[in-house]
Amino acid sequence: MRFVKYYFLFLFGLTVLGSCKKEDALNVDDVSGLGGDTWVKTPLDQWLYDSLVVPYNIATKYKWDQFELELNKDLVPPDESKVIPVMSTVERVWINPYVLQGGVEFFKKYCPKLFVLVGSASFNLDGSITLGTAEGGRKIVLYELNDFKNKTMPGYVPADSAIPKQMFHVIHHEFGHILDQNIRRPVEFDAVCKGLYTADWINTNDYAARQDGFVTAYAESSPFEDFVEMISIMLIEGRSGFDNIVNSITGTSSRGTTADEAKARLRQKESLVVDYYKKAWSIDFYTLQTRVRTAIINEIY
Amino acid sequence: MNLKDFYWKIVPALFFFSALVFSSCKKEETRVFDQTPDTRINEALTQYGSALTSSSAGWNATIKTGTGGIYHFHFRFNESNRVFMFADINLETASTAKESSYRLKALQTPALIFDTYSYLHILADPNGSVNGGADGQGLISDFEFGFDSLATDSILLTGRVHGTKLTLIKATQQDLDAWQNGAWANVVAFENINDIQNYFKRVNIGGVNYDLRVDPVARTIAFTWVDGSGNLQQFVTAYYYSSSGVVFETPFNAGSQTINGFDVVGWNAVNFTLTIRVNGAATTIAGAPQPLKVDLGAPQRWRDYALNNGALYWASLNGFTVNGVEDAFGINTLRTDTSQYFYLLYWPKPQGQTFDALAPTFLIPSQNALDLIYGIALTPNFLVDGRVVFSYLFDVVGTYPSTGPAALTRSQFLSAQGYYFIQTGPKTYDMVSAADAKAWITWQFPG
Repeated sequence: MRFVKYYFLFLFGLTVLGSCKKEDALNVDDVSGLGGDTWVKTPLDQWLYDSLVVPYNIATKYKWDQFELELNKDLVPPDESKVIPVMSTVERVWINPYVLQGGVEFFKKYCPKLFVLVGSASFNLDGSITLGTAEGGRKIVLYELNDFKNKTMPGYVPADSAIPKQMFHVIHHEFGHILDQNIRRPVEFDAVCKGLYTADWINTNDYAARQDGFVTAYAESSPFEDFVEMISIMLIEGRSGFDNIVNSITGTSSRGTTADEAKARLRQKESLVVDYYKKAWSIDFYTLQTRVRTAIINEIY
Repeated sequence: MNLKDFYWKIVPALFFFSALVFSSCKKEETRVFDQTPDTRINEALTQYGSALTSSSAGWNATIKTGTGGIYHFHFRFNESNRVFMFADINLETASTAKESSYRLKALQTPALIFDTYSYLHILADPNGSVNGGADGQGLISDFEFGFDSLATDSILLTGRVHGTKLTLIKATQQDLDAWQNGAWANVVAFENINDIQNYFKRVNIGGVNYDLRVDPVARTIAFTWVDGSGNLQQFVTAYYYSSSGVVFETPFNAGSQTINGFDVVGWNAVNFTLTIRVNGAATTIAGAPQPLKVDLGAPQRWRDYALNNGALYWASLNGFTVNGVEDAFGINTLRTDTSQYFYLLYWPKPQGQTFDALAPTFLIPSQNALDLIYGIALTPNFLVDGRVVFSYLFDVVGTYPSTGPAALTRSQFLSAQGYYFIQTGPKTYDMVSAADAKAWITWQFPG
């Protein structure tokens, strides 16, 4: 009787499938909004295609698309005149150093594939502003493009360095995450500041965080963030800039870490990052650091 | 029931039933509309697109922001997703066309998106320093709009986020010319009225003198005058621009005539005067060193208000405006290693003391707290002519700086001629130098 059972079940399945068959298929030749947004290409689109899509497969979305962004925020798209200055700066400060150190194949494989550009800052309820966000190793959102200036632009004052520097921080931070997610950071790294990671990082500041051996307040949030904050800050501040950060630590933290302990932790994490770049990616971190920092100095100092 | 029965009775029944259910889906397809939704929405987009590009002289656009301001734009759309724009937001937007991009897209409704930064985005920019609105929301405006209706000469749209209404009316060549030949820019030059170095901006209309106070961000204008029985009167209205002048949202009944607005003849950048035409009669707005009538009790009223409302203090965000320059002494640049200038306060009898205090306050971001680092103790002397003169007593808290923005603020504050007070709202006063009315400070009550 088992045969019968299978027989009927088979038939039943056929009935189900058969019943979906209809004579007229819907006309789906031209479904709105699913074919991607189109517009007449401008020289700016061509520049982005030639400079970023062809060599690295990185797309840049500068035209407004609310669905790439937080729906509860008032934001505005960037001024077209800011797109090339920003993306060419990104190329000099992030792409070129990694391509030179890691090779173009390495870079193409791991780089985030989409940049979304926003003209204004993203204002938070507490009055602070967000200058960059990222999602899933694929997308990086850069804000405040309309106020972007580097030192080649007229009217540049040193205070203008804050916005580009924050952009570099975000990009190097996110790329650090991608590297970490592909080849995990050394387990020793998580042990260095074990017990000091806290969800309360938001209520501290960089100065207090450094007294505990963290490079920024955000680094206190988890080993995961600590690792890439180390990478990002070391790269954008350069070796002597990082040394200055370490040497500036004084006093004992509110959690009882002495200045010497804090310095030792930062140095230990520094050497673990350098070691990780060497072993995992065959990249000499200090050379990479010099390249990034030199590019940044040329850009904003 | 044994197993055999089960297969021979139940299963065929199930099969029969399911065949019924599924075959019941088979229907003749009946459509309410002739076309599929996708076809129809693409048709609509095409139709809207060709309407936008069809007007060779472009479109006159009007938008009312969430904060209440009425703004005019001129859009010219071409078929390559480019739009050329003028706007009566400021002198630059009124005189120089800006090119940006637009596209039509099916969102929940067919939508017009101004998708790179343009003059329209100035209103929506969440950075308050761009448009004078609050940080995080700007003037509450839109740049993504859903189409509401389409007629031959007009298109109505509604913003997708804030519901801002945008009206497009087909423009004539004359409308376009009015932007291109500077007629609008000439009108928007009205905002230069605040470049007049004196606090008091005086104009004579129909034989009556008025002091004007214009807020170009909120777009309000206040008239102050002395009535027949010698009392000060005030009228405030919101205004917007037209291609020829300023239009009042509420007409001003000026006794002998009703004023709906005025034509702007031109701004004189040498003498700092603005010539206007009110109901056809030309007149000139110019600076004045004295108020029309001194509000004799205002200084005392100002100080008493703080004493009577929780013994609090008056605060000024930007310090002194001098010769038309806001924060002329740069008080906003005051810093310490751990804190930054927050506001300047005037505190009558702080915490039961016998003196009044003037001090900049500092915000310590890491503690989210305000700090007083230095200040001065002073005594207000109320004069019968309506002036108040402050006399210095001694430094309080710490040693007051002898140079820099704080020192400049102190020496201006202690001006021997003293100050007039102008009440501008229930909790706002302007304190105006009696010497020449070219220095003033705005006080607001934080409570």
